[in-house]
Formats: sequence, C-alpha cells, structure tokens
Amino acid sequence: MDKKRIPVQEGLFIEADPGTGKSYLIGNKCKKCGLTAFPKTPVCPRCQIQDTMEETKFEGKGTLDSYSIVQAALPGFQQPSIQAYINLDNGPKMWSLVTGCEPTEGSLKLGMKMEMVIDKIRDDEEGNELISYQFKPAGK
Amino acid sequence: MRDVSIIGVGMTRFGKFEDRDMKDLGREAVWTALNDAGVGIKDIQVAYVANAVGQQLTELKGTIGQHVLTSAGIFGIPVINVENACTGGSTSLRGAYLEVASGNADVALAVGVEKLFCGDSAKSAQTMAAGTIYAKFGFMFVALYALQLKKWMAASGATKLHFAKVAAKNKYNGSLNPYAQFQKAMTVEQILESRVVAEPLTQFMCSTMADGAAAAIVCSSDIAKKISQKYPIQIAACELVSGTYNIPGEEHEEITTRAALKAYEKAGIGPEDVQVVEVHDAMSPAELRMYEELHLCKPGEAGMMIDEGHTTLTGRIPVNPSGGLAAKGHPISATGLAQVYEVVTQMRGEAGKRQVTNNPKVGLVENAGGWTMDDNAACAVTILKK
Repeated sequence: MDKKRIPVQEGLFIEADPGTGKSYLIGNKCKKCGLTAFPKTPVCPRCQIQDTMEETKFEGKGTLDSYSIVQAALPGFQQPSIQAYINLDNGPKMWSLVTGCEPTEGSLKLGMKMEMVIDKIRDDEEGNELISYQFKPAGK
Repeated sequence: MRDVSIIGVGMTRFGKFEDRDMKDLGREAVWTALNDAGVGIKDIQVAYVANAVGQQLTELKGTIGQHVLTSAGIFGIPVINVENACTGGSTSLRGAYLEVASGNADVALAVGVEKLFCGDSAKSAQTMAAGTIYAKFGFMFVALYALQLKKWMAASGATKLHFAKVAAKNKYNGSLNPYAQFQKAMTVEQILESRVVAEPLTQFMCSTMADGAAAAIVCSSDIAKKISQKYPIQIAACELVSGTYNIPGEEHEEITTRAALKAYEKAGIGPEDVQVVEVHDAMSPAELRMYEELHLCKPGEAGMMIDEGHTTLTGRIPVNPSGGLAAKGHPISATGLAQVYEVVTQMRGEAGKRQVTNNPKVGLVENAGGWTMDDNAACAVTILKK
C-alpha cells in the first residue's frame, strides 16, 4: 500500500506542486486595524468586534525570534528537535519546528532569515506521512 | 463581601503511586484537611474540585468531583468540577472563597486531584501537551520554558549558574519536605552536569510527572475565630486572570504581573510586605523570572536575589520552601492547593525541618497554567495573611 501524505491539520497551509510555485500559510487579517493572525482567529483580538477578519496568505518568510533545541520529543517525533518562534514577514509571531539544519546551538542565530517548508513531521499509526509547515534557515 | 479564612489544609505525598487512584488520593487530602480544620463532613456546604486530565488518563470519564468526594463520604451538596490546566487548584480555591465571601455558604471545600501515571508514559506526555493547539505539531512545554528563559537571560543578566543555584535551593528544600516526590538535595554542580533537556535547562531543573491531591477548607473569618482549631489564615486576595493576545512589537504585560497587581490592590498589601512565597516553577529557573514579575525585586535583580540568599529558608523572603514543582512534583490540578498548603503551614509555624525563620505574617501563591495566544491561559495569585 502506498504511503499517503496527510496534512496534520486541514486549512493551515497550501502546499504547491513540487517545482511549480510557492507554498503558503493560511491566516487572516483585520480589515479595520490590520492585525494579522496565524492560525486564523474569528474575532480580532485588538478591535474585539465580529466580522472584521478576512483570510489572507502568508508567503512563509520571516525571522528567528527565539528557539530551543530539545533533547526530548512527543511520541513519533524526531529527537532532538528545534522548536522556535518565527516573526512572520507582514504577519504575526508563530510557533514552529525548525528543519534543514543541525540541531546545535551554532547553526542558528536570533534574527536570521527563515523560510517555510512543507515537510513530514512524523508517521501516523498506519504508516502515512503527516506533513506540516516547518521553517528552515533561508537559502539552505 | 465577608472576610474569608482558611481553617484546614491537607495533601498527599506527591509521586508515582501505581496502586492508588484519584478517589483514594482525593479522599486522603480531603480527610486530612477536615481533621486539620476540626470540622466534619456535614459542615461542608459546597465543594469545588479541580482535575485536568483524568478523563483522558483514568477510568473516570466525567463528574470527577462527585466520584472523588463520594469516596470521601461527601455527597448531596453542590459540587463544581473545575478544569483550568495547572491553575485548577487555585481556581477551585477561588470558587470556594467566593462562595463564602458572598455569604452563599459558611464553610466550603476546595480540592485538586490528578493522576498522571497511567502505565503508558507516552500517552501521559501527549495528553499533557494537548492543552495547546500546537501539540499535534510536536510542541513541548519544556521548549517553551527554555526559549523564554533564554530571551529573559539576555534581558535580566541572569546566567545558567543562577538557574542551577535556584534549582539547588529548591532541591534542598524538597529534601526536607516529607510530601515531596524527590527528597534528595543536589549540588549546583550536579544540576549543571545533569543531562541537557533543552538548553539552558538540565534534567534536574525540570519537573516531571506525579500523582497527588491537595485540599483546603475555607470559612467566614467570623466563624473561623469560633470554630478553628488552629490560627486561621485569612485570604486577603484570590485573583484569577486569563492570557491576553501577545501582539509582536507591542507592549505585553506579563500575565503573572497582571494577576499580582490585582491581588496586591485587592489585599491592600504590597510586594514589600510579602514574607513567604510559593511560585509555579515547572522548570526551577522560572522562579527567578517570578521574583521580577511579582515585583519581589526590581528588574535585573533576580540573580542577586539568589546570589545573596534572600529566598532561602533562612532568607528575608523565602521562595518555594516546599521545594517547588521540580522537587515536590507537579500533579497538574493538585499543585495550586499544595502551594496553598505550604504557605499556610509555614505561616502557622508547622513546617518542621523546612520551617522558614522569618515568622511570616503575609504569604503569596502564584499558580499559572496552559498556553494560548502566545501567553499562559490562566494565572492566579493568592495573598494570605494572619
């Protein structure tokens, strides 16, 4: 049986066909005050009124806000892992796993440019690949 | 609103108890508190019972408070089930406190009970992480603590040595606490040399899983003077807040500070008056941040507080005399009431080998939990006085 690639959660990102274009994160933005959110939030936390948030796509470029290399993992996840907060360009701060570099203190620097990739985060119980957004150092 | 006092406290030892269920743990804590207060089951008019993950990890699938209290012989009264992550215990206390303060009840019971060892540690870890939306993406609380503390180190000037010193202080306190999960003192060197879990946190700076229960009995201060066997400890404030949206680039007040300022104002007591403190340090170094966020010292002085020994058992403001979460253990919903147990016991002068020496008249408990909107989901600060 073929392994399937299954998004760990629907509605969070759009994965481009390989080689044809960009992947995007799906968030939303307040029409009134410009606040951005990822994942989407139905009510703007600044305006605190309904019906001001509209869907928007983030290109998945940002900078490294903070990170931690963790020598522990939830079942099925890779260990060690790098867990980070990313300041998304034109978007909010968001939590993400980091991939594409050695899990050592020397391979990351606060403020460095990061870019999103859609990649496997773990196998599920049936052996399918669960995929999600992750970030890697830009250009790597 | 009436003045409210704590007249009885009780807790089980925290730890791994494979042959004890939540009903058994809860019963022990409740009856210890009843006996401590010198009141009977029939005096309890309302009860708040906190539990976080019992539905996922135990055979109890709902109305856990009723199941636990029935096993203790308490039934027929209003029972309110509370779930508020690690802040559940304090949230229960707040419910009981408000019942009595409002005049709705004269005597109320607050309980926190948790069973994390279920024979499948992977299931326990997944369940505990599932309180956040990020769990399915691999998020771990230890990473969150680590990256926040790294940022905070840069701002405050605190070092990894300070982190190890605060952990060693707490391991020492825990070694004197018969209710602690880990009763072994450790040196600064042993802590620094233990396995790195998430830089800058090492194994012996971090709390682990535990089972346990804690309880408190509150009543109106007027009645307490007549019936209490021991010196009643008044609840000067029991404030609860939830997190606020943390917008990048904009000022964001720490949740602990927001809860503390509300509590200080309500109590008419300032941080300079506080003499014994229990803080929520799922990783011991977080205690240092709390010194600053609770305004127990000025920004940048947390390292000095531990260097100069101000927060040891014999210091001017002992913090986490129980050993804190890493030594005492952290059974999620029991933690807040175990912190209250500790501060009440210290203020009564009944803490035995770990008794603080400054004869505290004012104590403070800080209890935070959960994660949402890039902030804790909840934080409670309780101020006690005698």
